[in-house]
Amino acid sequence: MSEHIVSSYEEQLKKLHSTVLKMGALCESQFANSIIALVKKDEELVDKIIGKDDRIDELEKKIDEQVVNLITLRQPMAIDLRETVSAMRIASELERIGDLAKNIAKRVKNIKIELNNEDFSLIRSASELVQNNLKKTLDSYSKNDEKLALSVWNSDKEVDVVINKLLQDLLNHMKKDKKNIESLTHLLFIAKNIERIGDHSTNICEYVHYFIKGEDIKGDRPKA
Amino acid sequence: MKNEKIKISTKNLNVFYGPKQALFDINLEVEEKKVTALIGPSGCGKSTYIRCLNRMNDVIDICKVEGSIKIDGQEINKKDVDVNLLREKVGMVFQKPNPFPKSIYDNIAYGPRIHGLADNKDDLDKIVESSLKKAALWEEVKDRLNQPGTGLSGGQQQRLCIARTISINPEVILMDEPCSALDPIATAKIEELIDELKKTYTIVIVTHSMSQAARVSQNTGFFHLGKILEFNLTEKIFKNPDNKLTQDYITGRFG
Repeated sequence: MSEHIVSSYEEQLKKLHSTVLKMGALCESQFANSIIALVKKDEELVDKIIGKDDRIDELEKKIDEQVVNLITLRQPMAIDLRETVSAMRIASELERIGDLAKNIAKRVKNIKIELNNEDFSLIRSASELVQNNLKKTLDSYSKNDEKLALSVWNSDKEVDVVINKLLQDLLNHMKKDKKNIESLTHLLFIAKNIERIGDHSTNICEYVHYFIKGEDIKGDRPKA
Repeated sequence: MKNEKIKISTKNLNVFYGPKQALFDINLEVEEKKVTALIGPSGCGKSTYIRCLNRMNDVIDICKVEGSIKIDGQEINKKDVDVNLLREKVGMVFQKPNPFPKSIYDNIAYGPRIHGLADNKDDLDKIVESSLKKAALWEEVKDRLNQPGTGLSGGQQQRLCIARTISINPEVILMDEPCSALDPIATAKIEELIDELKKTYTIVIVTHSMSQAARVSQNTGFFHLGKILEFNLTEKIFKNPDNKLTQDYITGRFG
């Protein structure tokens, strides 16, 4: 794509793009840290995660402002308009991811069981899978790569498979280990949070695809 | 798009100014009672194209127009067509408002008089009133119909010219940059008027304002170097054009 004749307009669009990426990187690290905090029971890290959530909200507001400014002052057309509108929607998906990561962190202190072992390997592998998808999602946005977005979108069914296994696994733990039912309930919620982070990630893939191609991804999302 | 009635159909239209070819194989269909916007950089041929639709290029000696232009299925690009009758059917509004140096009343009454559309003064009064009403100018000028048309503001003059155009009951109205000399409020009034007029008339508008094309038209054609590169629903053109050059042009990346 060649550049705009008006370079200040080009800069404004690039700035919006980089603000979204900055917000994406922060959400990515919040999520990764929430899982580290969970597995290591690291309460200091929990506080850090909770403290950083405000920054995510700030970035979302900043993106909204940049979008409104672009629409007001530049009246973007075609791919520029699609990118501008998508940025706002991606930011709101990211904000949800940030909230879910914070929610995972908040539950850490209520979990009284050891997770860093074979019994709970599924929660680690599920979060690794979702982290990997989120990373690829943000890469697809960063490189304007709609094919990558589409492949992440299609791979969400693998996440569903692992999450379903994980939920079943946690229920089995609950049946066997009634005294830890509170901890395990929190883990159930955490598993759902991880799944939802995956869902938000695929939503972002849809916006990336839309802004580059000008059309929605065809068909329903593959579900396990 | 397919179920609509085609008012103007252009096939393999080529236009030359002397040795220089200005339009290349233009194939374009204008739908009835719709607004068709033509966009493209200066010199791309969009004005040349609409000037073919009422044979305005006839007055340029070196201009040669080849190909077929049919209005309601009737060929207009041939020698034996009565251009006066054609121009009665296909009216035109120009970039700069150009009222006659006459009263507001006579600006409107001139056309109906020479075309014999009014039998008496009452008839003529009615035509003047209804034309000014259709052009949304009546309320502003009804008390000063005998004052010169050139004394009106630019926006009012342009609406006067539109009223003059519709006073002889045309079927098609061609507009060549009708708002480029007007302020935003006067522009909005013309755009509101275009919305209203399309219920009765087929409108073809040439504009350099992307946002105006987006606001007023249902179909948009993108001209470039004498060719029509893309003709599509307006929404499609401005949201997701098929042609890369269209996208470069409307997003300001051209060149």
